[in-house]
Amino acid sequence: MKGAELNSDDLEGALKGLLDKGVVDCLVMPHRAGKAVSYMLVKDADKIESPASVIFAPSFTVNAANLIKGWTIKEKVGIVAKPCEIRAAIELIKLKQMDKESVLLITVDCAGTYTNQVYTEHYADIGDEVDSAKIKELDGKGITIRESCAICENKLAAVGDIIIAKGAGGNVTVAGLTAMGEEALSALELSLEDKDLERAAEKEKIAAEAKAKLDTLPQMGSVEALEEFLQDCIVCKNCRDMCPVCYCKECFFELPLGKPTGGDLLNLAELRGAIGLPPGQLFYHMTRVYHVSTTCVGCGACEDACPKDIPLTRFYPVITKKVQDIFEYVPGKDVEEPLPFTAYEEDELEDKLR
Amino acid sequence: MGEEIKGDFEPKIVGFTCNWCTYAAADLAGTSRKKYPPNSRIIRLMCTARLDPMFVLKALLNGADGVFFSGCHPGECHYIKGNFYGRRRIAALRTILQQFGLDDRFKSYWISASEGEKFANTMKAQSEEIKKLGPTPLRGKIL
Repeated sequence: MKGAELNSDDLEGALKGLLDKGVVDCLVMPHRAGKAVSYMLVKDADKIESPASVIFAPSFTVNAANLIKGWTIKEKVGIVAKPCEIRAAIELIKLKQMDKESVLLITVDCAGTYTNQVYTEHYADIGDEVDSAKIKELDGKGITIRESCAICENKLAAVGDIIIAKGAGGNVTVAGLTAMGEEALSALELSLEDKDLERAAEKEKIAAEAKAKLDTLPQMGSVEALEEFLQDCIVCKNCRDMCPVCYCKECFFELPLGKPTGGDLLNLAELRGAIGLPPGQLFYHMTRVYHVSTTCVGCGACEDACPKDIPLTRFYPVITKKVQDIFEYVPGKDVEEPLPFTAYEEDELEDKLR
Repeated sequence: MGEEIKGDFEPKIVGFTCNWCTYAAADLAGTSRKKYPPNSRIIRLMCTARLDPMFVLKALLNGADGVFFSGCHPGECHYIKGNFYGRRRIAALRTILQQFGLDDRFKSYWISASEGEKFANTMKAQSEEIKKLGPTPLRGKIL
């Protein structure tokens, strides 16, 4: 792949160049507000200030792909975000929720993130960016990364159109992965040379650590365990709203059949003797886990969004991973790969049926 | 509810069958006077691909002791490839049900229109299996 090594000033110039040279019409990228980090939609390049100190910030507020979901506009949107967010964007392209030609996906390296609350509170300790050694050190102080990040196998930037990889001495390597990405970089007039950003050994190490962590998570195993796990759910459906890959315009659980009230509920209660309130905790989550089973990127936005602090990472990413394994599918890995439910092979899966 | 003794109860089984094959097979089993346990309630769908996994989840959560699906053999779909897509959904659903130990209560078969005998035998075997599992843990629960 073709790329260039940049220092922090060059990176600022490059991102500004994307807007100034008309490569993209607008940019969705993180910005700092005091200690906190959140996303902004930029039209004016002057609003981009020292991006190197903010794009790697280990804070997860919202999945950036969710912010541009369903934007069917002709203008080109550039997104600077972490791998899980770009992978969600790629799934949304496959789900026809955005146009491949109207987004420029720029992926940055991630080492794991903290919830935005933890990040803001411990900004003095965490700083602008972290690496795996720093994460371990902070872990000793009781500042832990989000569980979904701890079990994430795809932390290094390896998808999208352009990747921004961390290098030595605060420098970054910017490289194009697709024709669109390489065109964008050449428009910036960077001196491009061949770069090797495979980083296979590092990826393997991250994947091994993530798998080890996944094995330590408690397994559900029974209906009783699931019932207890979801007992506190108030069916606010915030996990659905914050989920980047939950995209139905009209959710079944907003329709009368999925959201029974009054007389419908009385009928159900008569049928079963008693029903739990609010109704449909299990039905809602089990349906949703099936709906996102092949596309869940494991970003953990659902857990962050839960007002009842239900550890949904132990539900959604953990269960969907098992479904993705049977189709040997990694969501967001390749924009050309068909979604498992839109493809088939004539001879397959018979051992999965009974 | 809940006080039935394991192995000695009449299960309630919800079945979803394809109009073009298993529904006809059930018909054939009937017209050829094959006996099978009357504990299944069959719902006719037009194709395997019409089986929304939500149907299965809803039946299980509402206290069905078993749910089965049966459609055309792969490669013999009336709509050419409906059961290929359906098979993937069933496999995904089964993987999810496995996490909660519910997969034993969800059965899937391929039974063609001429296999009336196979349908009757399958229903017999299924009834025995579900009886062995006992009543569903979900029926007595306040969900």
